[in-house]
Amino acid sequence: MDENEARKTIVATLEGKKGKSKFYLKDFYAMFPEEKPRTIKNIVNKMVGEGTLEYWSSGSTTLIGLKGVGKQAGAEHED
Amino acid sequence: MAKHETPMLDQLESGPWPSFVSDIKQEIAHRKANPNNVELQIPADVPEDILGVLELSFKHGRTHWKHGGIVGVFGYGGGVIGRYCDQPEMFPGVAHFHTIRVNQPAGKFYTTEYLRKLCDLWEFRGSGITNMHGSTGDIIFLGTHTKQLEEIFFELTHNLNQDLGGSGSNLRTPADCIGMARCEYACYDTQDLCHTLTNEYQDELHRPAFPYKFKFKFDGCPNCCVASIARSDMSFVGTWRDDIKIDQEAVKAYIGGEIAPNGGAHAGRDWGPFDIQKEVIGLCPTGCMWMEGDKLMIDNRECTRCMHCINVMPRALRIGDDRGLSILVGAKAPILDGAQMGSLLVPFIKAEAPYDEIKEVIEKVWDWWMEEGKNRERLGELIKRQGFQRLLEMTEIEPMPQHVQEPRSNPYIFWKEEEVEGGWERDVNEFRKYHLR
Amino acid sequence: MAFVSSGYDPNEPMKNRITDIGPRHYEEFYPPVIAKNKGKWLYHEILEPGVLVHVAESGDEVYTVRVGGARLMSVTHIREICEIAEKHCGGYVRWTTRNNIEFMVDSKDKVAPLKKDLESRKFDGGSFKFPVGGTGAGITNIVHTQGWIHCHTPATDASGPVKACMDELFADFQSMRMPAQLRVSLACCLNMCGAVHCSDIAILGYHRKPPMLDHEYLDKMCEIPLAIAACPTAAIKPAKIEINGQKLNTVAINNSRCMFCGNCYTMCPALPLSDKEGDGIVIMAGGKVSNRISAPKFSKVVVAFLPNEPPRWPSTTDTIKKIVEAYASGAKKYERLGEWAERIGWERFFERCDLPFTHHLIDDFRDPAYFTWRQTTQFKF
Ligand code: HEM
Ligand code: SF4
Ligand code: SF4
Ligand code: SF4
Ligand code: SF4
Repeated sequence: MDENEARKTIVATLEGKKGKSKFYLKDFYAMFPEEKPRTIKNIVNKMVGEGTLEYWSSGSTTLIGLKGVGKQAGAEHED
Repeated sequence: MAKHETPMLDQLESGPWPSFVSDIKQEIAHRKANPNNVELQIPADVPEDILGVLELSFKHGRTHWKHGGIVGVFGYGGGVIGRYCDQPEMFPGVAHFHTIRVNQPAGKFYTTEYLRKLCDLWEFRGSGITNMHGSTGDIIFLGTHTKQLEEIFFELTHNLNQDLGGSGSNLRTPADCIGMARCEYACYDTQDLCHTLTNEYQDELHRPAFPYKFKFKFDGCPNCCVASIARSDMSFVGTWRDDIKIDQEAVKAYIGGEIAPNGGAHAGRDWGPFDIQKEVIGLCPTGCMWMEGDKLMIDNRECTRCMHCINVMPRALRIGDDRGLSILVGAKAPILDGAQMGSLLVPFIKAEAPYDEIKEVIEKVWDWWMEEGKNRERLGELIKRQGFQRLLEMTEIEPMPQHVQEPRSNPYIFWKEEEVEGGWERDVNEFRKYHLR
Repeated sequence: MAFVSSGYDPNEPMKNRITDIGPRHYEEFYPPVIAKNKGKWLYHEILEPGVLVHVAESGDEVYTVRVGGARLMSVTHIREICEIAEKHCGGYVRWTTRNNIEFMVDSKDKVAPLKKDLESRKFDGGSFKFPVGGTGAGITNIVHTQGWIHCHTPATDASGPVKACMDELFADFQSMRMPAQLRVSLACCLNMCGAVHCSDIAILGYHRKPPMLDHEYLDKMCEIPLAIAACPTAAIKPAKIEINGQKLNTVAINNSRCMFCGNCYTMCPALPLSDKEGDGIVIMAGGKVSNRISAPKFSKVVVAFLPNEPPRWPSTTDTIKKIVEAYASGAKKYERLGEWAERIGWERFFERCDLPFTHHLIDDFRDPAYFTWRQTTQFKF
């Protein structure tokens, strides 16, 4: 799979979701049913490193979304 | 003058047990006096605000902390837990006040040189308040401001050669018992395996990889001092396959009352003279011990290595020499479907560096869980949902009676087609030749 | 208070970044006697409460003085620990899994001065800084979680009740009169960070009221789908409401499905659930993790609810003392609390501990409940 294509698919899919900005890793796997979870996980984590995505952690679970999108940043005054 | 009155907390200063209130107060005094002129990066009165918030909770019977989830250090999904006070105007020093988890060294031994560096850093850039340690095992830095997070991480990695621990859907910071470092019962080197796997799986520890948290814990023997069997998705418990070693002279010394049983653990009460029949042989869960004259005999094939006799007579009985560990999987705390104890997956595996066989089991388990686990489904819940058989299949481990407490008591076996002679496809017309409609 | 940079550059976070280095190597931190004799220990003995000796094949000995600690600890206190370790132990010290601190020396003559030094140190408020004990058939330190000092979902405090309990149990921290070791743990909500579910006695914070709904702010502060997804029992549904003529998106909670876990509050600050009357403590008993004699066991709920009573939680400490005394007088040598309760029967347990039995204590949560009902004619009157 082409990594850059995957990046575009991820961004486009997330931008297409209305009313929800944070996603589980599984939601990313679902975008690429043919790929191994580990491959997708590595791309997602890379995209965080590149500043496209960001983590949101409840302490026990981690959610992932487009950087700066959603209401949490405002509620936590970290925007 | 204290910044906040704390009449309820003050009542926790009396009594013999170390008072965390007195301790925080001494930190308040220290930060106020600041004898070393530290350029404190968050306000000096932060510990006062901590006590103030806690006092308010004592008064209200409710917490005053809110959750936050974005803060962290760049590129890491774990190690920092966002935390905000819901009374920021009353307690500005702790308005945002995040936890940092610092990966403790295996075995929790320290040099004071290292501890002092940690203290200096945490006084300089944080509240000066810690947990030694959090229940997963990390050193916990309890509270600093958002702006200090990257600075602390930078200093930890550059000056202390020290990384953060895990949180979120990551591998959590692994933890171990003291094991071979000071315990004669240890069947493998818990510190080495803990440290090796922690380093092997740094990516999984720092970046989310799983449907939910995943914990490793390492106990050197079935006494389970770090409770691995109850609280880790993958629990490594030391064990042995050959015979318990017996020193018959020492057995006699125990019988003669020359050595106190159980390492002297029961010295606080007069339990009467030691009675090997009642206290050891009679309590052996498998009934595999007996006396022949003044010699203690063990039918080792029947022993389940429960540790009782060894615990009672450590100078007479020693663990065997063919050592390794058992792997149990799926333990978790009650939420959501009730607590689960670890279930035995690998009865015996050698634990020798570089631990390739152990890593192989781990990675097979992870592959399955990453593929099949639902969001926030712990490994133990996946095993329950898809069945222990599925776990065996995915890890390529042969089923054996050791895997069960008892065989199933219902016959509702989900036979697979390939297991049944002739398969499931049948010709109903052929059948009808012999059975009328 | 000028900002001092560590060298980190916020504009170039990846510059000089060091990651994935893991913890420090444990061998850097072993005292010499440990490094030399690792894996070659012959046996150990508890010389007196809190003092152990381990003897190695080489003939070397290591003496350990174990002291209790509040796990909530200031750097000033840690520095004092360092000072003691430097004075007596060559600059080495360790912590146990149960938040105790261990000072190790390599010869017997160093024990008495170390112990004396530790016992002489007190906080200004009067409590011991380093009480010696926590060994053998006694009650060692309570492992616990954060509570009101730092978590967002606790139904009780952690450090406060632990201090109150350990003050009451202090004599048994410093003695070894119990039939076997007795482990107490505390978790401040049902998430049980502290994994109290396998302790001889567990103190568990529990909420009893479903979250409140801050309709006006809900949609502003939270993403409704996230709060809905957070609920383990699917008790939350999207809803619409009209306030001051304004139509707002919000949620509705099916209160009878709520198990009071606080997960929704984690995702959404507009769903607070803490409550002074609603929150309190559940007491569980009879769990263990060791494989000794009997298999590891879960703790069982023996008191469904006790109120939060800061600062000293008397109902909780009284209940625990009752259980401890009943166990101490009734159990046989080596018998853990849960083994004792099973031998005498749980009906006797409630009688001996003088605890009422209520319908709350009968399991009705999902499948395993059925296996806990009595399915035999064997019971005691
Ligand atoms: C939805 C569920 C959960 C949430 C939202 C949650 C959240 C948290 C948070 C925010 C903390 C940090 C408190 C602080 O340091 O300020 C924490 C700590 C911790 N959690 Fe959880 N938790 C959850 C479930 C669990 C479960 C089920 C376990 C165990 C199986 C667990 C184990 C731990 C442990 C060991 C700690 C460290 C506790 C300590 O030592 O203070 N958590 N959790
Ligand atoms: S688990 Fe076993 S080996 Fe480890 S410290 Fe406890 S008794 Fe020793
Ligand atoms: S270890 Fe346990 S099962 Fe084995 S001989 Fe000793 S008491 Fe019996
Ligand atoms: S047990 Fe609950 S309240 Fe306590 S620290 Fe863990 S998540 Fe927070
Ligand atoms: S407290 Fe827990 S069970 Fe109750 S509504 Fe919130 S998430 Fe659901």
